[in-house]
Amino acid sequence: MARMSRRAFLNRSAATALAVSGGVLLSACGDRDPTGAPPGAGGPQLASPENPVTWPVPADAGRIADGLAPEQGATLRVYNWSEYIYKKVVQDFEKKYKKYDVKVQVSTYGNMDEAVAKLRGGQVAFDVLFPTYDYLGKLVQGNFLRPLNHSYISNIEQVWPAFQNPWYDQGWNYSVPYTIYSTGIAWRVDKVKDDIAKLPNPYEALWDEQYRGKVGILDDYREGIGMTLLKNGITDLNTGNQDHLNLARDQLVALAKAVRPRVNTNDYIDLPESKTWITQAWSGDMVNAQYYMPKGQSADVMRYWFPEDGKGPVNSDLIVLLRTGKNPVLGHLFMNHLLDYDVAVENMSWNGYQPPQNKLDPAELVSQELLPKNLEAATVLPSYFDTGYRYLELPGEVDDRWHAAWQEFKAGA
Amino acid sequence: MATSDRAGAWRPRWFWPSFAAPGMAWLVVLFLLPFYVVLSIAFGAVDPLFRTPVPVWNPVQWNPFQFQLLFDRIFGPDGFLGPAFVRTFAFVAAASALCLLLAYPVAYYVTRYAGRRKGLLLVALLAPFWVSYMMRMLAWVNLLESDGMINRLLVGIGVLGEPFPWLAGQPVTVTLGLVYGYIPYMVLALYAGLDRVDQRLLEAARDLGASRRRTFALVTLPLSRQAILAGLVVTALPMFGDYFTNDLLSGSPRTSMVGNLVNDAIGSPGQGGQAAALVLVMMVILAVPMLAYIRTTGQASREAGR
Repeated sequence: MARMSRRAFLNRSAATALAVSGGVLLSACGDRDPTGAPPGAGGPQLASPENPVTWPVPADAGRIADGLAPEQGATLRVYNWSEYIYKKVVQDFEKKYKKYDVKVQVSTYGNMDEAVAKLRGGQVAFDVLFPTYDYLGKLVQGNFLRPLNHSYISNIEQVWPAFQNPWYDQGWNYSVPYTIYSTGIAWRVDKVKDDIAKLPNPYEALWDEQYRGKVGILDDYREGIGMTLLKNGITDLNTGNQDHLNLARDQLVALAKAVRPRVNTNDYIDLPESKTWITQAWSGDMVNAQYYMPKGQSADVMRYWFPEDGKGPVNSDLIVLLRTGKNPVLGHLFMNHLLDYDVAVENMSWNGYQPPQNKLDPAELVSQELLPKNLEAATVLPSYFDTGYRYLELPGEVDDRWHAAWQEFKAGA
Repeated sequence: MATSDRAGAWRPRWFWPSFAAPGMAWLVVLFLLPFYVVLSIAFGAVDPLFRTPVPVWNPVQWNPFQFQLLFDRIFGPDGFLGPAFVRTFAFVAAASALCLLLAYPVAYYVTRYAGRRKGLLLVALLAPFWVSYMMRMLAWVNLLESDGMINRLLVGIGVLGEPFPWLAGQPVTVTLGLVYGYIPYMVLALYAGLDRVDQRLLEAARDLGASRRRTFALVTLPLSRQAILAGLVVTALPMFGDYFTNDLLSGSPRTSMVGNLVNDAIGSPGQGGQAAALVLVMMVILAVPMLAYIRTTGQASREAGR
């Protein structure tokens, strides 16, 4: 199968509904609790920017003491999305702690469900995991995570203030940020005559029959339906309103008929290779797309649009420590390593995804050649996290209705 | 002593059936058990926290909810899965028919006229199996690009005025992809059948005055009926479950097949039960032609034994 973008997998499973936390879900399903998760003691908690959540830290959760020495001769087991961390960044960590004879072993997963299934199997004692933020509540309530000892993670100072006390994990008891990204539209100026960014409603261009067969839609039910909602001026991207979902469904079915889109997560390959001329796209994938341009062609022809007022989808990924891990001290140090400015930038130069680093501003992305000038709009600004929209976890029942709408689009009804 | 030696020819009653044991064990471990897991998931529950399917092992507690939902989605007033089912059957029917039309002459030639090159030709026919299916499909993606070899050739010789967008959600591309992917199975099945046709029967027909055409129509074709059926079964069944041909050659909802629906459902949290239900419904539908096939082969072997 064609290589699937990590991002895609990520969002597909991220989709899994968080807004209503375990409490509601558990009560909805009676007292059956196959996960062994404790019922939400304080009742259901709704994690959203308006409703920040502080996850409890039980006394027996395994938070480590201050000032411990790294484990000697240990193998740090890192569990990450495929192709999401630069090998060199990992090797640098090994070199940094050479006197402790540290080895890092990176295992990969394709989507969060796969990762959680393996974690629940419990055969491998992974130390570090890279979940989506909407999976955090599940992981905490499923007793998978080790609370952080902040004294080991001084580099948290280097990330945007909003991520030092995020709404999905107040007081960062369990997580630190890894990457951030927006969702917009990318196109080729050598194929598409209109300046998409200047159109009154750029989303409508994806329905334009003149691009039949050359339109790309991300294979991600949240992004696909969310984009259609935004096109119609509906900004609640976690809506349970069936009228809104029906509207999005009908318009997506019409899109499938009108332009026969490619529905996949190869936006970063299809656009440079002219398989698509205009595509829904993730900012990080577009940064990466410049490296997929056929030999001899310039990446100048690619453009990325995200609403200039910042009113579009923005999301983030996290790093967490697992309770089963045998090397909690090294785990903390690895987190701290990845939050270091130089390391984070090195990592972005390889995977294309921007870390929320204070020192990394838009001008610098271009001057450091992390971003070509023509894709400057793929930069994620701190203000986007105030103005933009986030895909929160949905209650199971709402999630099923989102899936049904998306399935109708995908089935080519 | 001599008697006990002769007694060596005598075997306990379980001896010969025990030869089937490895096969039976294989069937139980790799078919029946997984099948039961699929059933338990289709009739099972969903983990409230992680939305993963939770199999329910006890049939008494099975919940038919997923099937009700699926039937609504196929046959209900908003039955949006219906078109995908119709499409799948149309693609598979067209692709199987094309496979048969293309493969029969090849198999016929190899068995009747290849002579000493038979072995070589068979190897050549099997050669595509040495390259993975995915690699072969990816090669086609390259050939079928807007500026790919196929379009350049067809435009160059004037068949097409302008490049045809083969990869932009075209049913014809997916059908041809299926033909290309599964035709070796058809050739092999037909070869095996035609090779068993007794040459003396054909000679007899000719001796009795039948023309070549009549010999073929009245002797060869009826005798190869079993092979044709077998070929259709071995090509059509995997086609029904195929999803990556469509993923690679189209990727558009306009050509989604049932296999794509299953694959999508498996990848979506909370939808594992739908995937299992889809698989089971497909199995039931396909069991009908399969049983018909088993019945006709059974009849044929009884007739042959008479």
